[in-house]
Amino acid sequence: MLKIDHLSKRYGATLAVNDLDFEVKPGVVTGFLGPNGSGKSTTMRVIIGLDRPTSGRATINGQTYDQLKAPLREVGALLDAKALDPSRSARNHLRALALANRIPFKRVDEVLEFVGVASVANKKVGGFSLGMSQRLGIAGALLGDPGVLLFDEPVNGLDPEGIRWIRDFFRSLAKEGRTVFVSSHLMSEMAVSADQIIVIGRGKFITSGTVDDLTANAAGTVLVRSSDPSRLTQVLNEAHGVVEPVNDAGLSVAGLTSDQVGEAAFAAGIVVHELTPQRASLEDVFMDLTADSLEYGHRSEAVLP
Amino acid sequence: MSTTPTLVDTTRSEWFKFRTVRASFIGVVTFIFLTIGLAVLITLVIKSNWTHRSAIDRLAFDPVTTSLVGVFFAQFAVGVIGARFITSEYASGAIRSTLASVPRRVHLVLSKVIVLLVIFFVLSEIVVVAAFEIGQAIYKSGHLPTGSLSNSSDLRSVIFAGIYLTMLALIGFGVGLILRTSASTISVYVTLLLIVPIIANFLPSSWQVHFTKFLPSNLGASMMSPQSSTNSFSWGTATIVLVIYTAVIVSAGTFLMTQRDA
Ligand SMILES: Nc1ncnc2c1ncn2[C@@H]1O[C@H](COP(=O)(O)OP(=O)(O)OP(=O)(O)O)[C@@H](O)[C@H]1O
Ligand SMILES: [Mg+2]
Repeated sequence: MLKIDHLSKRYGATLAVNDLDFEVKPGVVTGFLGPNGSGKSTTMRVIIGLDRPTSGRATINGQTYDQLKAPLREVGALLDAKALDPSRSARNHLRALALANRIPFKRVDEVLEFVGVASVANKKVGGFSLGMSQRLGIAGALLGDPGVLLFDEPVNGLDPEGIRWIRDFFRSLAKEGRTVFVSSHLMSEMAVSADQIIVIGRGKFITSGTVDDLTANAAGTVLVRSSDPSRLTQVLNEAHGVVEPVNDAGLSVAGLTSDQVGEAAFAAGIVVHELTPQRASLEDVFMDLTADSLEYGHRSEAVLP
Repeated sequence: MSTTPTLVDTTRSEWFKFRTVRASFIGVVTFIFLTIGLAVLITLVIKSNWTHRSAIDRLAFDPVTTSLVGVFFAQFAVGVIGARFITSEYASGAIRSTLASVPRRVHLVLSKVIVLLVIFFVLSEIVVVAAFEIGQAIYKSGHLPTGSLSNSSDLRSVIFAGIYLTMLALIGFGVGLILRTSASTISVYVTLLLIVPIIANFLPSSWQVHFTKFLPSNLGASMMSPQSSTNSFSWGTATIVLVIYTAVIVSAGTFLMTQRDA
């Protein structure tokens, strides 16, 4: 099990990780979600001891990474697929890792085979495409058959078939009882590949839960179609609803339940043709949650000249 | 797969990494070529000029150090190989996968130091003995005075020439640990060995007497010359000073590595 314990990391003036505190449980795929620059990679680097935390710590089965006797046999991580010596072959890259952790060379060939790079195992990794490097990185993470696996944006550079493969693969790793922690800045990716999601923004914890939890707690909207949209808009505004027209005489209403919308229309004598509660998509939830914490990117009010 | 890895395993991993990149091979060939090639060149030049030498010059002739002069060129090759053993990992980012497999910085540095120490000690001794023997053979063919490894002071000069090169490989490595980029490391290393002695030449001579003997290349000269001269350390003191330099630089680099983000 992976535990993040009041972890903060500061780079000069930037507080990249701000008092994160959560656990990642075995047996499920846990998504680590946040906009660009929200501190996902930083958290991962601290977990595997590359960066020193400013305060707090990250532990794996109760130990910090540098206390692990054979780290690759307990934690497998793929953070930056291109961080390899370009002049070494794929097989030799993995063999060097294997030697340091007392993993037999036989295992190197197994994982190369498994991720589908066995045919180029003797080629220099400098010539590898991003997708091939990514697969080699996954092989490296699996090398020690670890119980905890970390992947930072693993679908980058993979083709659709590779993405499908990797999703199924995460699921199967979790099913074997392993802890699988996968970051992404794409909600849509997490929605299909993660069971549990942790959302951060600007280094801070925002929320966590299953995909269903996150969407259920979020305020949805109500779609209403009526005989007189303009008067209904007026009525709903008076009832403190936020109304936006959608096509085909429909209105999208936020801030009111479908019951309240129906009652307001009835009281005003407006005929309602359709009244449907709209569940917020995970994407909406994410946008809502992180709207205040966008490090880079577009705020909705920003208008191009 | 169940046994706990030790320093032996991390050292084997580093040795494996050293021998599986082509750059190491090229560096080692350059090193051998420089040391032996220059020994051949210089001893041949001395041999052909011998008859033009004055009697005093002939008396001052030192067949040992002249055959080892390639060491002062080879020191750049060994320093660069030592430096690149760490800076190339920072350049490619491979240091991050290295540290993921060996998170304890002190273990990692120790493993790399052991690898460099063994490789360069063995290699340097072979190379300096070869340079020496080839040089003496050339002198002998011209009926010049020669040294011999059966003479204890000549043997000591040759062995310590190898130790000098081994220490310089480690100094290059230590500077690399501190600076992390190949370009800055090589600049500092070359400055230390070439530029500082030139600057020292401009010091008042009363200072030079005290200062220049501390320069690495002068320590090397003291270590490999059969007799000690005035204004320089004895071979024993010179070796100790050089070992202290090496230890301080590598320790400083290791300390910085434990404090910094990878
Ligand atoms: N080594 C560093 N030095 C200085 N600032 C850094 C460093 N690494 C990260 N940062 C800053 O810390 C913040 C968090 O960055 P991080 O890379 O962890 O975000 P992320 O969530 O992984 O983003 P992305 O989705 O773009 O990968 C950013 O503001 C970034 O600029
Ligand atoms: Mg990132």
